[in-house]
Amino acid sequence: METFSIIFAIFLGGAVLTYFAGKLSSVVQDILFLATVLVPTYLFFSGVSIGSSMPFSLEGISLLWGVNHFGWLFSLIVLGLGSLAAVYSVGYMKGKERRGYFYLNFVLSVMSMLGIVISQDLISFFIFWEIMTWSSYLMVIYSGNDVQRIGIKYFVFSAIGAYAMLMAIVIVHSVTHTFFIEDMIQAYGQMSLQLQIWIPILFLLAFAVKAAMMPLHVWAPGAYSNAPMAYTSLFSGALSKMGVYGMVIILVTMVNRLPQGILFREVLAWLGGITAAMGTLWAIKQDDAKKLLAYSSVAQLGYIIVGVSIGTELAMMAGLFLAVMHALFKGTLFMVVGAIEKQTGTTNFTEVTGLIRKMPWTFFAALMGIIALAGIPPLGGFIGKWMLYESLITSDHYLLVILIFFSSTAAFLYCYKFLFGFFLGQEEKEWAHVKEAPATMVVPMVLMGIFMVVLGTFPGIVLNPINNGLMDLGYVDSYKHLWETSIIFNSWGDHVILQPILYSIMGIFIFFLIFVLWKGYKGTRYVTTKDISSSGEVPKEDENLTFSVGFMQPFMRAVAPVMRRQMDKYYTGFANGLEGLFDFVRRIYTGNAQTYAVYVVVFIVIVLLFKDVLF
Amino acid sequence: MVGTPVLFVAIPLLAAFLIPLLGMIWKELVRIVPGLVLIYLMVLSVNLLNHVLVNGPIVEVIAGWAPPFGINLVFSAFSGFLVTLMVFLGLIVWIYSYRFKRNVGFEPAKKYFLLLMMLVTGAVGIVLTGDIFNMFVFIEITGISGYALTAFYTGRDSAEASFKYLMLGSIASTLLLLAIMILYSQLGTLNMAEIATKIHTVKPAYKVISLILFITALGIEAEIFPLNGWAPDAYAEAPGPVGAAFAGIVVKASVYAIIRYIYTIFDISGAYDFLIIIGMVTLIIAEFAAIRQEKLKRMLAYSSIGQMGLVLVAFGFGTKEGVFAALFLMLNHAIIKSLLFLSGSYLVYNSKDKTIAEVNGMHKFLPITSFLFALGAFAIVGLPPFAGFWSKLSVLTAAADSHMLFVMSLILMVSVVELVYYLRVVNRIYFFKKEESVEAKKPTFNALIAMLVLGALILVIGFYPDVITGVIHKASADLMDKTKYINDVLSIKQ
Amino acid sequence: MEEVLYNILGAVVTFIVAFVVGMTYGGLTRKITARVQNRKGPPFYQNFIDAFKLASKKTAIHHGVMHLMGPAFLMVSSVMTLLVVPVLSGNNWFPNLNFHGDLIFLLYIMTFGPLGMALGAGQTGNPNSAIGVTRGLSQMVGFEIPWVMALVALMIQYKTTSITGLMDAQAQTGTWLMFSSPFAFIAAVMAMFGMFRYSPFDIVGAPTELASGPVSENGGKFLFVMMSSGSVFTFAKLTLYIDLFMGGASNLVILLIKTFALYMIPVLYGITSPRYRTEQAVRWFWGWPTFFGLLAIIQAVILK
Repeated sequence: METFSIIFAIFLGGAVLTYFAGKLSSVVQDILFLATVLVPTYLFFSGVSIGSSMPFSLEGISLLWGVNHFGWLFSLIVLGLGSLAAVYSVGYMKGKERRGYFYLNFVLSVMSMLGIVISQDLISFFIFWEIMTWSSYLMVIYSGNDVQRIGIKYFVFSAIGAYAMLMAIVIVHSVTHTFFIEDMIQAYGQMSLQLQIWIPILFLLAFAVKAAMMPLHVWAPGAYSNAPMAYTSLFSGALSKMGVYGMVIILVTMVNRLPQGILFREVLAWLGGITAAMGTLWAIKQDDAKKLLAYSSVAQLGYIIVGVSIGTELAMMAGLFLAVMHALFKGTLFMVVGAIEKQTGTTNFTEVTGLIRKMPWTFFAALMGIIALAGIPPLGGFIGKWMLYESLITSDHYLLVILIFFSSTAAFLYCYKFLFGFFLGQEEKEWAHVKEAPATMVVPMVLMGIFMVVLGTFPGIVLNPINNGLMDLGYVDSYKHLWETSIIFNSWGDHVILQPILYSIMGIFIFFLIFVLWKGYKGTRYVTTKDISSSGEVPKEDENLTFSVGFMQPFMRAVAPVMRRQMDKYYTGFANGLEGLFDFVRRIYTGNAQTYAVYVVVFIVIVLLFKDVLF
Repeated sequence: MVGTPVLFVAIPLLAAFLIPLLGMIWKELVRIVPGLVLIYLMVLSVNLLNHVLVNGPIVEVIAGWAPPFGINLVFSAFSGFLVTLMVFLGLIVWIYSYRFKRNVGFEPAKKYFLLLMMLVTGAVGIVLTGDIFNMFVFIEITGISGYALTAFYTGRDSAEASFKYLMLGSIASTLLLLAIMILYSQLGTLNMAEIATKIHTVKPAYKVISLILFITALGIEAEIFPLNGWAPDAYAEAPGPVGAAFAGIVVKASVYAIIRYIYTIFDISGAYDFLIIIGMVTLIIAEFAAIRQEKLKRMLAYSSIGQMGLVLVAFGFGTKEGVFAALFLMLNHAIIKSLLFLSGSYLVYNSKDKTIAEVNGMHKFLPITSFLFALGAFAIVGLPPFAGFWSKLSVLTAAADSHMLFVMSLILMVSVVELVYYLRVVNRIYFFKKEESVEAKKPTFNALIAMLVLGALILVIGFYPDVITGVIHKASADLMDKTKYINDVLSIKQ
Repeated sequence: MEEVLYNILGAVVTFIVAFVVGMTYGGLTRKITARVQNRKGPPFYQNFIDAFKLASKKTAIHHGVMHLMGPAFLMVSSVMTLLVVPVLSGNNWFPNLNFHGDLIFLLYIMTFGPLGMALGAGQTGNPNSAIGVTRGLSQMVGFEIPWVMALVALMIQYKTTSITGLMDAQAQTGTWLMFSSPFAFIAAVMAMFGMFRYSPFDIVGAPTELASGPVSENGGKFLFVMMSSGSVFTFAKLTLYIDLFMGGASNLVILLIKTFALYMIPVLYGITSPRYRTEQAVRWFWGWPTFFGLLAIIQAVILK
């Protein structure tokens, strides 16, 4: 398959060229960058058919690249979001420093993610996985803020995960003597029980880190909020999905075949549930939109993990649909934050307020993103949430469903905080000059917003590829004909028919909107947000009526007991302990020649003493 | 055939003696001649290696006495591979320090190139020789030039470092001599192949004690914990290229010696596990110590020690995969660590304390050097698609094939530590504000070339490891085949 | 086409019934509250007078597009709830959207309104509105827990998530779910306190501190739509409870009796209680109501 080679050659060559084109002119750089992302995307979707593959070998290891339905689904997320984020980046990066660095790592990230989903062998999978890790790490430290803490934390967690995976890979190799994923799955049944248990654990460790699952999530808030927003939309939207991608494969092909698999999946599902709940609570507490969305990403990935680890067909559909939705809405929301950051210079709710009239298109995108995130019908988020609940209830996870419900209800709090904090509320003079973001930034956001609306009523567009992907993984296709329609089903036969609902909602909405505006909209006039009744008085011009500090205080007081413990503190304590140990080790090297001579003698003596044991 | 193995020893040794004389004729010759010598050796070694890979090893007898009575040199796939690597690094170091004279003056430069020639002679001799006493001589040559090079900057600290090196080096020589004496008293021969055939006749107690003495003595040179007290100081105080030469040449030769003893000469199976144990301890202690270092070169030194520990572990598996991994690791370590030393020494060129804090924000002033350092850092921690990844992968594969899961997990855990301290430095270079007091020093053109070659190699091996793995596979097969070595040597008749 | 017209007719009729009943209940509540507090109180049809007055006003000012859309959002949620909930059991009422959505859908569409409204209230810029909204959302997180637990208990016991399915189950066994699943009923009723926002859970409007909170910047038609939405929503929710726990109603009279009886529980509980603080309210819902919800689930699992 030549197309693969061409695609990766364009990615690699384009990345390097883009990097150096910055010396020439920034316009050329932008164009090269867009071409580097968009051309392979076009080539991939036009030239690569599902089922095609490319075997080759490197360092005596046989490798295989290929596309199956499941990989194709994720490549859709990667390349779709990647292209939109690339267009957005051009606007976002205008006038910023380190543009070449940004573009280079952006392209490498997209390339490595595509590589991950088309890898049919463990070695190229791992290589792309690591390229993804370090290119995203370079993006996390892009801004230079707190790189030693946030950046290294991200990399250390990723590395722990990746090394766990590497260990699993070489163990598998020592048993099967090949690196093909197919062979690993084949051989899994014949391995010893110990390996059967440890190999999925090691793999899942890597994937759980990328999917920011509790208790391995502590890197996520810092990393997501520290990377440039144009990249974070990809980071949170697509990169974290690579964890989900791997998780699904391991869960379906290994854990489900294990007698103890049920325990695995329960533990994972509960961890996902706790992730969702705690992520939500922490998101509510944040005053910085980046942090808020970062915690929200952690929480949303929790839902996805719950879905894929429950593992019934409906749950798997729910998890994967949510994954696609999360890519869409979290991508949009991070782009929104980026647009606001670009236009106002801050992302703090306590500073920016009342932008709705200045940035209407951004607001539209944000609104769509938030509605989808909250899971409110008639947008796509609802479909995923609905399927998740139904799958949990029909598969006897009664308490878990309560936990999930709690977190998605609590999510309304931060959803509102996001919209209110930026767009609604008092319009301050300080932000009177703010303009709408440039078209390259607005268009991708709005496109994604529209797509979310479409998915809300016609989820079959995405459910069908998901269904095909699940069939690849060996699921029995029990609903196929139904996923093509706009009806969603559970296994008890209950359903929601989406089209009449959409039309009813639109009808009622328009009717009452007209009712309110009846008798001349022209008669109504806009008045500023200062022109309000505050306890019967009209406030003065200079009176500060902005409400943004301590926004969700009462709720936070209610949940204070569970938020006292922070995973981060335990890790920090552990790290400090380790540093102490390292310092102790360092002191072994005293710098004194006599001591070293003594060491030599001690060495000989010890070895002589134990020579019978040793030799 | 274009030459014989003896040239590897004879030519640089001759050059070392001639350099002062040539310097009297024309000062430039002092630095041109070593380069010519190294280029010639490079061509020679590549040619010989090609020949050897096809036709089997070359055994050369010196002074007309056939083994086991005379001294013989063995240029096999294994030793040839190492020789090529060492000569290549010598060449890189030479390119890098070609304009050394401008900074330090003629007299020190003359000594420097002379000592470099001696160092190469010694190291290459260690690898090629087939005689344990001859090896002792070469180890002494290497050691002496090493002591002198450490003290090159004639300051208090370098003198102290050199003294430590000298002191431990002397202990090593004593122990080595003792070990050789024990073996000689028992077997009456110094030829490696001859010893290998007769070693089963030696009483176990003598055998074990001489092995312990060998390992201790060579361990001092090969930086095994706790015998490596000299190393951090020596690396930190010697000039940058010397650090690279130590990491790439001297240590490699000492490790070769250990491996030769354990794989070919002795027949003690416990020695393999012992290698794993000391390797692991060295690896862990060194990496732990590295993370808390304040000086850049010291940090690199500890990292180097740790890598050598890993090499020993890989040799300790005793399998073909293990040897392959170890050799690959040695190759990568030589390339990458040299790059780190070479670029690192420019990063802290003008700073007084050479601390890590003083590399802050250097990327704006030294973009290429900084980039190469970052590349080296990424490569040495084993991130794909750079060279270090493949060797790490092969080490782990070898470990898994030998069912050493615990060792494997320890290696990976230590890798995380390694990652942390390298990234900390890279972050400093790129994202911290520059210290006002430190002035950046632009690398010379030659230095840049030397570093770029290494950087390019990292990428080439990273993207297409097949360029080199074929050779390494043959080299490892060569080491594993002990009987062939013995036969090849002993069948030579003059 | 005919079908569409028939559906629209059904929706309109249902809406009118809900509007009238809801408004009347509202008026009665005012009357009862007044009597308990030893006042005379307005006549029970006072709400109709208010509504008529508000509806006939012209809209003069607005605070922007979200403010204009806020009431419509609210209405969407109320009417959709009404349309999804079967008003009468059997087939003697317009089916509307009964078979197109299930309980999970209902839960979400019920939150649609408050959130849309919150956006409208947010754009007015009145800090009281925003404070009211945050309180309302917090309280929602509180009462949703026992409410969902009750629903989940019902769902797993009868293996269906649709309202009609649960109604059929009651019709088959002949017992109301409030007797066969008492704990679920208790939890649901306690959650209802929060849903109806009578004191002590009237922290959202909090007439004395927040000047009625989210609605404070809305007058005229805005307020009319909100009022009628509230009435319709009240009726819809009461009907839902009746359908779920009390076997539904086969004709309008029974429906009125049952809903009124149910409605009086939060009203009477609230009349004499002072207002909770937000966190107290939230924690109250996570106390006994949640405990009963848990019992309900345990019961359902055992009986399944």
